[in-house]
Amino acid sequence: MNQFFLGAGIGISFLVLLVLYRVVFGPGVYNRIAAISAIGTKSLIILLIMGFIFHRVDMFVDISMVYALLNFIGCVAVAKYLEMES
Amino acid sequence: MIRQSDDIIIGTVARMLVPFIQLFALYVIMHGHYSPGGGFQGGVILGASLVLLLITHGLPETKKLLSEKGVAILSSLGLLIYSGIGLLCLILLGNYLDYSQLSKILQVAPNEARSLGILGIETGVGLTVMAVMFSIFIDISTGGVLPEDEEE
Amino acid sequence: MIEIGMIVVSVICILGGIFFFTTATIGLLRFPDFFARLHATGKGDTLAVLLCLIGLAIYEGISLTGLKIVFIAVFMALAQPTATHAISRAAFRRGVQPWMKGEDKK
Repeated sequence: MNQFFLGAGIGISFLVLLVLYRVVFGPGVYNRIAAISAIGTKSLIILLIMGFIFHRVDMFVDISMVYALLNFIGCVAVAKYLEMES
Repeated sequence: MIRQSDDIIIGTVARMLVPFIQLFALYVIMHGHYSPGGGFQGGVILGASLVLLLITHGLPETKKLLSEKGVAILSSLGLLIYSGIGLLCLILLGNYLDYSQLSKILQVAPNEARSLGILGIETGVGLTVMAVMFSIFIDISTGGVLPEDEEE
Repeated sequence: MIEIGMIVVSVICILGGIFFFTTATIGLLRFPDFFARLHATGKGDTLAVLLCLIGLAIYEGISLTGLKIVFIAVFMALAQPTATHAISRAAFRRGVQPWMKGEDKK
C-alpha cells in the first residue's frame, strides 16, 4: 500500500510541474491566478498522501485544512483586487 | 476604500463560512501543545476570517462588527493577559513566567498548572495577532485616510 | 474480507481522482481561451479533489481523522466553485473577450 501512495504522490507532483508552464507563460494575469489555484488544490492532496506514507495522519490533516482555507481566501482577495477600477 | 460589491453568491458563502473558520482557529489555538498550531497560527487564521468579511462586504459594514476602538482594546487585552500571567507568577514568589507557582492558587499539581499557564498565554497571543492583522489590512487598503477625513 | 473490500474501493476512488486531475491539467494547457481553461480547472479539479478525499477517508475508517477529512471535502465542495466564480466575474467585468471559432489561439 505504501508503494501505491508513493506512486500517486509522484504522479500528482508531475502534474504540478506541468501546470507551472501556465503560471510562467500565461498571457495576462487571469491565467496565472487560475493556475495558482489549481496548484494549491493539488498540493493539498500531496500533503495528505505524505501523511499516509509516514503513518502520522492526524498531524497532516490539520495542516491541509489550513492550506485549503488560505488558498480560498487568497484567490478571492486577488480577484476582488483585479475587479476594482483604478 | 473597499466598496460593497453587488454580488450575492460570494457574500452569502462568506457569511456562511466565517463562523466555522473561527471555530477551527480556536481548535488550532487549544491544541498547540499536541499538534501543529499554537497562538500565532490560530491568530493568523482568526485574522484571515475577518479579512474575508472585509473584502466581500466592504469596509463600512465590517466596521459595525469591529470598530477601530475595538481593535485597539483587543490588542491591548491580549498583551495584558500575557504579561498579567507572568507578573502573577512573579508575585507568587517564583520567576517570571514560572507556571508551577500557579498551583498555589489553582489547587492542582504543578504539571497541570504549567499546562494551564501555557494555554492562557496562547489565548492572549491569539487575540493580539488577530487585532493587529485586521488593523494592518485596514491601514494598507485605505492608505491611512479615515472616512471622516475624506468627507470634509 | 470487509477490509480488502474497503481497500479496493479506496484505491478505485483515488485512481479516479488522479484521472480527473490529469484531464483537467491537459485542458488547462491546451484550450484556446481563458474562459475555457477556467471551465477545465474549475470543474475538473473540484471533482478530482472530492474523489481523492473520499477515497482517503474510506481507507482511514471511522475515526476522528476520517471525520476531519470529510470536513475538508465539504469545505472544498463549497469554496472551490465560489473562487472560480470570483475569478470569472473579475475577468468579465474588465473586458476579456471570449474566443470565437476561426480566430487565433490566445
